[in-house]
Amino acid sequence: MFRVFWALPILSLLTWQMARSQEFKRDVLPILSENCFACHGPDEQARQSGLRLDLSEGALATADSGDAAIIPYHAEASPLIERIESHDADLRMPPPESGKELSAEQRQVLRQWIQSGADYELHWSFVPPRAVPPPMVEGVEHPIDRFVQARLAQEGLSPAPLASAATLLRRVSLDLIGLPPTLAEIDAFEAAVAMDPEGAYSAAVDRLLSSPHYGERWGRWWLDQARYADSNGYSIDAPRQIWKYRDWVVDALNRDMPFDQFTVEQLAGDLLPESSDPEQTVSQQIATGFHRNTLLNQEGGIDVEQFRIDSVFDRVATTGTVWLGLTIGCAQCHDHKFDPLTQKEYYQFFAFFNNQDEPTLEVNDPRQSRADLKSELKKAEIEVDEFILAHAAKYDAWEQSVTAELLEKLPSDLREGLETERSQRTPQQVRDLFNIEVGKIDSRFQSLKQHFDKLGDQVAGVTKTLVLREREQPRMTSVFIKGDFTRPAEVVMPQTPAVLHRLRSSQDSPKDTATSDIADPLNRLDLARWLVSSDNPLTARVIVNRVWQVYFGRGIVETENDFGILGTLPSHPALLDWLAIELQSHAWSLKELHRLIVTSHTYRQSSQQRDDLLVVDPRNYLLGRQQRLRLEAELIRDMALSAAGLLSGQLGGPPVFPPIPAGVMDVGQIKREWKTSQGSDRYRRGMYTFLYRATPPPELAVFDAPEGLSTCTRRLRSNTPLQALTLLNDAGFFEFATALQAIIDRDGMETAFRRCTGRRPRADELQVLDGLDSLSAARVLLNLDESLTRE
Amino acid sequence: MNRQLAALQANTRRHFFSRCGIGVGSMALASMLAKQGIAKPAGSHAESPLAPKQPHVPPRATNVIFLFMAGGPSQLELFDYKPKLTELNGQPIPESYTAGKRFAFMDQVNQANLLGSQRAFRRVGNQGVWVSDLLPHTAGVVDELAIIKTCKTDLFNHAPAKLFMNAGTGQFGRPSMGAWVTYGLGSECDNLPGFVVLQSGPRGPRGGGMLWGSGMLPTSYQGVPLRSQGDPILNLSTPDDVDEGAQRRVVDAVGQLNLKHLVETGDQEIATRVNAYEMAYRMQSSAPELMDTAGESQETLDLYGIKEAGESSFARNCLLARRLVERGVRFIQLYHTSWDHHGGPTENLQTHLPEVCGEIDQPAAALVRDLKRRGLLENTIVIWGGEFGRTPMGEVRESTGRNHHIDAFTMWFAGGGFKAGAVVGETDELGFGPVGKSAHVRDIHATLLHQLGLDHQRLSVRFQGLDVRLTGVEEAHLIREALG
Repeated sequence: MFRVFWALPILSLLTWQMARSQEFKRDVLPILSENCFACHGPDEQARQSGLRLDLSEGALATADSGDAAIIPYHAEASPLIERIESHDADLRMPPPESGKELSAEQRQVLRQWIQSGADYELHWSFVPPRAVPPPMVEGVEHPIDRFVQARLAQEGLSPAPLASAATLLRRVSLDLIGLPPTLAEIDAFEAAVAMDPEGAYSAAVDRLLSSPHYGERWGRWWLDQARYADSNGYSIDAPRQIWKYRDWVVDALNRDMPFDQFTVEQLAGDLLPESSDPEQTVSQQIATGFHRNTLLNQEGGIDVEQFRIDSVFDRVATTGTVWLGLTIGCAQCHDHKFDPLTQKEYYQFFAFFNNQDEPTLEVNDPRQSRADLKSELKKAEIEVDEFILAHAAKYDAWEQSVTAELLEKLPSDLREGLETERSQRTPQQVRDLFNIEVGKIDSRFQSLKQHFDKLGDQVAGVTKTLVLREREQPRMTSVFIKGDFTRPAEVVMPQTPAVLHRLRSSQDSPKDTATSDIADPLNRLDLARWLVSSDNPLTARVIVNRVWQVYFGRGIVETENDFGILGTLPSHPALLDWLAIELQSHAWSLKELHRLIVTSHTYRQSSQQRDDLLVVDPRNYLLGRQQRLRLEAELIRDMALSAAGLLSGQLGGPPVFPPIPAGVMDVGQIKREWKTSQGSDRYRRGMYTFLYRATPPPELAVFDAPEGLSTCTRRLRSNTPLQALTLLNDAGFFEFATALQAIIDRDGMETAFRRCTGRRPRADELQVLDGLDSLSAARVLLNLDESLTRE
Repeated sequence: MNRQLAALQANTRRHFFSRCGIGVGSMALASMLAKQGIAKPAGSHAESPLAPKQPHVPPRATNVIFLFMAGGPSQLELFDYKPKLTELNGQPIPESYTAGKRFAFMDQVNQANLLGSQRAFRRVGNQGVWVSDLLPHTAGVVDELAIIKTCKTDLFNHAPAKLFMNAGTGQFGRPSMGAWVTYGLGSECDNLPGFVVLQSGPRGPRGGGMLWGSGMLPTSYQGVPLRSQGDPILNLSTPDDVDEGAQRRVVDAVGQLNLKHLVETGDQEIATRVNAYEMAYRMQSSAPELMDTAGESQETLDLYGIKEAGESSFARNCLLARRLVERGVRFIQLYHTSWDHHGGPTENLQTHLPEVCGEIDQPAAALVRDLKRRGLLENTIVIWGGEFGRTPMGEVRESTGRNHHIDAFTMWFAGGGFKAGAVVGETDELGFGPVGKSAHVRDIHATLLHQLGLDHQRLSVRFQGLDVRLTGVEEAHLIREALG
């Protein structure tokens, strides 16, 4: 009996474990997937010796050796056991050069599994969530608490007590709106809690969920996944305008747009039937900016098609990760090594995203004021034209070299320009022609031109945003051998992976457009609806898990971006399923999901370390306490601005340029302008700071804000000396400290302390602070671990 | 402060175990959860991320200085002597060489003819190694170098190729080799970052900060640029209106209050933060001390060719690199632009290549000599090279130049167990491709890690379902011929 390994007379909690029988998914599959599937898994190309161990049929079939690897109920006779236990380096599995090695215990697990019949089961996440009622726990009502406490009780543990009112209000405010509560809010809450704890708390949650700042806080959560930033990336990294998409996200969340609609508009808003409300039609187009947050390479000498394909690869990987929690991207070059996804299926998925043009949408924006921009525009125009003049010789040489063939390839307006008598060309024509080749590869000209164009748009009152538009003539999609776009192979049509629920084909799903041809291939709209269909076993689980992760620092599935075979198993599988079903049955309302989680005791309990848990569950998988979490990069700024009384509460609009240290913008290949914002725009929330992908704002990057290079489903929480230098010395934070100093001087130390931490200082803490001058004390307060942490 | 913290941590630890009455070595639920696949196996997360770690195997080297010649130096004007190319100057390249290949600026490639080397070569050193007249100082240390002439990369545009040389992939968002090495080995230095980047030349390298990024590894491992102007490290200086005494008092008070909170909450992250503040404070004095080269002898300054103490140059950066190695910094990368000699008006082989060679030749050679005489070369690997090389064909532009070339280019390695005086690999008579095998970028990475005691297969991190490695998924081989 292999459990002998555990049979040490220690913790009683182990007895429960020991009584459980072996489970394939929990005990066996991780060993096989980690050590065997790379060569004996789904990937046909990589498969060795004709042996496939990820499916029962494969393991029991005759391999190249002439034998089946596994003989159920006969571990001793199974070649698999013989090979993993062999002492001969040539025979031993996994082979020594793989760097993998099975422990004695793992070998024992496999032996036991085969001995008891070698049963395979479908991976848990491909099976739809099961509706399991919350277990009964005496005196506990909240369903989440019943799941969590039942599990704790199995270990003889109980949950932690409630956090204090002040801590709780700061926690739930930071979590729901990303801002700490004001002192008035804390005072009112403390008074209300004394009267009616439940009523006070639920009123606070209602207030926070209806705050417009809710959309900002959770909008940023989504923008991480959408890999949002304000520039094109790669080495040139020119600025782009796509903040309308950012505002769309904030607004949609504030209106609690159901997550299924939220999905469909972003993935396929351009394919939805035109609404009777023209504003809604525009809004649905703006939403498709989700998949325009890909990088754009503008370096000279590149193959444009290569980078277009790269952006489609990214769209596939992002869609797979964000909605399905699957590493679909792994099947780009070969069949997936671990999950049942073939390379062909990858390119069928790819085909959904291969049929778009990538236009820029002009949106009228009443918020822009024009008067003060006009002189700037004139200046920018002169700069551009002077540059062209200075490079006239180079341009002339190029124009002389223009061949009929090139002329043929140019868009009609440029061709017309070239065919116009030189003295007759308009200034704009001259600029456009210069930009065909000579200016295009000159980074200085590019930055001048972009500045000029941007101002031109602003003066015209036009905001641009990047959108998707389906092509009338679909592109042909084929499998690329090894993911190399120069090696196309078999042609494929759009389709979803076979292991998941079936996407009804166009034959049995009426399209929205009445004119649709019955033989139309599937498109992005079909895909988007398939992602949020009630048959989908993954999307709802993946999304509730990713929301949960924000509240507890870790998802119920720790590998929030991999629900596949290599991912971790859920710590609370029934709870995950229950939440996924709740989300769908409440019409995909994210606000309801938030309300459900934050009203649980599990959420509201104290985060203090417990000695008993430290021994048995130091990383808090069982949630016997809350978790202290360092604030996200933007929220550290927001916290400091709020504490200092400087925060501008303005919602949305173009990104802003708060002060940054000199020299930051010099590290990119092209020196980008950073024209520091004036007035209240210096004090906007961190999420509005202009984000250059190649030179991200250091104040945010140092605290692990993603750069928008690929989808980010979980941020790191690093803890480094450079963070300390930022908070101590950065001119911005120093300015916040001087504002907080004024508050100390005016309202006293206790007030300032509360503005930073949400609680009253103890005497010994006050003593430390009172021993300092007020500026130093203000700097200390903004540097406290507690100020930077959601307790 | 640190002693206080250590005592506190020890106390807290004793406290749990005594209170709960179990012996060390008993199984915690945490590791059971890991075995059940619910928890990711993890080391002690309270440990400082930069604490020195054991390598996989005994190392030959402990530090790396990578002199990155950004833009792609022309091996045909520097190391790869090709008389046949000179003989065929002006003739079209035989199609057998170019069939099926892709190039940058592809539309112009067809018009390009072979271009003979623009420089004179001579044989130098004990083995009679060919080096051109552009690198007289390098020629003087050639017996210390392992020169690899058949380096190969996959990508032919600057930014992606630079990423490829640094991170083993052209994808943005993956860890650079300095981050990998610091992740694998930690740092021996407690008052400077473990991975430091220095830049010189007219502009930053294409690819920017991503070249020294940490990708999915924690930001603790990312390269920290030391700036030549202003604060060497961003936000290093105490704000203008604050004197040093006040700064110390602030750091002390933050530490004191944080420790109180640590006792209260029991959260080890607070201990990490207390340490981070102490290190930040030490950096505030150690980084300026590093940059202050007043203590260096005139002879040393002359060796590197430094004319003014505070100058911002590749020469000064080479000196700083030595000083960083002396202080235990693990990985140092110097970028020097610009080597992109296409033949445009500001980038040709006649005028601009000699200029940039003049900027780097003496300092690079001096670095090797200086490290050697101080006994540091034995444990320090010095690498010289760019993201790719340049084509045997000239380019049709205003003056003489060459296009990007990925099939065979030259890099050199010195110290840290590389074989002094070795010349590895040979190219065909036009210098287009290798005769025999290539030293692919991933082979270079595997070899470099090997010398540092790291197995390139085992140095990996799981991300989006992949075991991400510096050497990627394809096989990488050690370049044994280059090792002593």
